[in-house]
Amino acid sequence: MNILESVEAGFRDMASHKGRAVITVIGIVLGVASVVAVLALMRGGEEQSLAFWEELGGLRELRITNTHLDRLMMTAAEKASERLTYRDAIAIGEECPSVSYVDPEITRWLTVTYGDLTYQMKVLGTTGHYPYADEMPLAEGRFLCDKDAETYANVVAMGPTYKEDLFGDEEAIGSTIILDGVPFTVIGVMEKKEFYFQGEGGRSDRNVLEWFNRSHYIPITTMIKRFTIDDRLGGLEVAARSVELVPTLTEEVRTVLTRRHGVEDFNIDAKTERIQQQAEQMVFFNIIFWSIAFVSLFVGGVVIANIMLASITERVREIGVRKAIGAGDRDMFVQFLVEAVAVTAAGGIVGLFAGLGMVAVVEGILGMPTAVTPAILLIAFLCSVSIGLVFGIFPALRAARLSPIEALRYE
Amino acid sequence: MLISTENLTKSYDLGAATVRALRGVTFGIEEGEYVAIMGPSGSGKSTLMHILGCLDTPTSGRYVLDGSEVSGLKGRELARVRNKKIGFVFQNFNLLPRVDLLSNVALPLVYHGSISRAERARKSSELLSSLGLDHRLRHRPNELSGGERQRAAIARALVNEPAILLADEPTGNLDQKTGREIMSILDDLHSSGRTIIIVTHDSNVAAHARRTVHIEDGRVAHDATNGGATREDATGKTRREETL
Ligand SMILES: Nc1ncnc2c1ncn2[C@@H]1O[C@H](COP(=O)(O)OP(=O)(O)OP(=O)(O)O)[C@@H](O)[C@H]1O
Ligand SMILES: [Mg+2]
Repeated sequence: MNILESVEAGFRDMASHKGRAVITVIGIVLGVASVVAVLALMRGGEEQSLAFWEELGGLRELRITNTHLDRLMMTAAEKASERLTYRDAIAIGEECPSVSYVDPEITRWLTVTYGDLTYQMKVLGTTGHYPYADEMPLAEGRFLCDKDAETYANVVAMGPTYKEDLFGDEEAIGSTIILDGVPFTVIGVMEKKEFYFQGEGGRSDRNVLEWFNRSHYIPITTMIKRFTIDDRLGGLEVAARSVELVPTLTEEVRTVLTRRHGVEDFNIDAKTERIQQQAEQMVFFNIIFWSIAFVSLFVGGVVIANIMLASITERVREIGVRKAIGAGDRDMFVQFLVEAVAVTAAGGIVGLFAGLGMVAVVEGILGMPTAVTPAILLIAFLCSVSIGLVFGIFPALRAARLSPIEALRYE
Repeated sequence: MLISTENLTKSYDLGAATVRALRGVTFGIEEGEYVAIMGPSGSGKSTLMHILGCLDTPTSGRYVLDGSEVSGLKGRELARVRNKKIGFVFQNFNLLPRVDLLSNVALPLVYHGSISRAERARKSSELLSSLGLDHRLRHRPNELSGGERQRAAIARALVNEPAILLADEPTGNLDQKTGREIMSILDDLHSSGRTIIIVTHDSNVAAHARRTVHIEDGRVAHDATNGGATREDATGKTRREETL
């Protein structure tokens, strides 16, 4: 008998044992579906945290901060250093080849007056690069530009929450507000920025990015000239021209700042590193998830093994009959191979769809984030097929080695 | 000589004891013969038939079938011999329960190789019809009477046109009347030239054959053509002829 015919015989045989085939398929379906669901949940969690980091700011950014130093233990060099200044920011922008933009920042709480309203509000002195125009667009008007910094312009871009507080539904652009006694012209209103974590019971109410909405932005040069005694920075962010250049830029910045400060009294922190750290913390959860996936697959496998063993008497008899009329070991092997492969592949495919259904349920009803990638589908499918092969073929293969008469006598 | 055996033995090792089911069977069967094998229960008749049918292998001795030595063959080759040269009819039919008669009968053709599906169906239905089962082609074995099942089993045994038909108590599970039907089929097959060996406990059944071999205690105790003369001379003569 040629292979094609053995394959055909396998299918015909399967068709004549519909009950057995169906239950086996169900076992596989359960296994695959739960693997898909579990992996999609894992992936969903990962993507959510990545999405958060991206919303927070580009991955190509470095954050530079002053190292905390104990006043009593400072060395002479450390005492002599001015720490991070606006001039450092300009030097980095001019001297580091890998830099895309520099975003220095000085924050002050200022008294804001408009008409008879007075509030204490957080004001950030910054440059036109903050926030990056495409990732944090304006609701109306424009953001700060380089020209505003050069001319020490008294202009302000308002956070949406403060704009509401002061103007309500009125037009804000072009109006004048008073910051610590100095009049500023409103040139833009930021778009509202929102991010809610998904958790058990759906979306959390807390907008973790609300602090963005509660900031005003003025040119950093104006901030230094009007409201501070020196140009020391509250924070400095530097973006590389690409994610790949982040390590290069880190070294360039280190060189420039160490030269200017005479000592390394600053930290350079790449966001990619923080994401990596977070990924490492996730390993533990991943292990748990993988165990669940493995257990579900195993349960599916046991179901299959059980079916195979339950039907073994009938099967061995059948093997005996087939061998008695001239079937070879290879014919038997191909027949079982076909059955196992067909059943597991069918179960695998149905399982993938069932898994997608479970994912939709988890996402829709429990409100947990999920993500399905081709890799997840492939992994689940391959697992199911190998399980089916191992559990399906092995018992039958052993039976196929019996002599015809032993098989016919099998009780 | 179609079949010749020399000192065939078969022992079952049961750990504590060894059962010697065959203790040296030497005999021959010519093409076209119709032989009955009789003997008490447990004497080794089925064991002998299984070895002759290549369903089992002897512990020692030689077995030559249709001019080629079979005793040394292994798995795949034995499967080919079973498929092409032997038709075996069991007491309990041994049909596949889940497929219809047509597929059951066609199965040896499937393992034969390179016979088209249409040809397989044609041959099988022809055979089944000639045995009076043309209205049962699409029935499964459990929808049929014992006699019908045994006729289907005979059709299956014949479909590859084997050199020899072996039947181990083919009427053992049937009533007298049905048993006679089966025997008349075997008689017809014999008159059309087929070689047949049949195991039976029933001397009426054995009377259909032209020769009866008695097995006792795993040995040939008595071998005679039905009607008188013992076979010792005949086989002895044939063997001498061969050596000449
Ligand atoms: N698989 C086996 N394992 C152990 N002993 C066996 C096996 N098969 C047969 N025997 C023994 O071999 C001997 C011959 O058995 P066999 O089936 O050939 O007898 P038989 O002549 O066909 O009997 P019956 O007329 O009852 O069918 C018996 O003693 C039996 O118990
Ligand atoms: Mg017997």
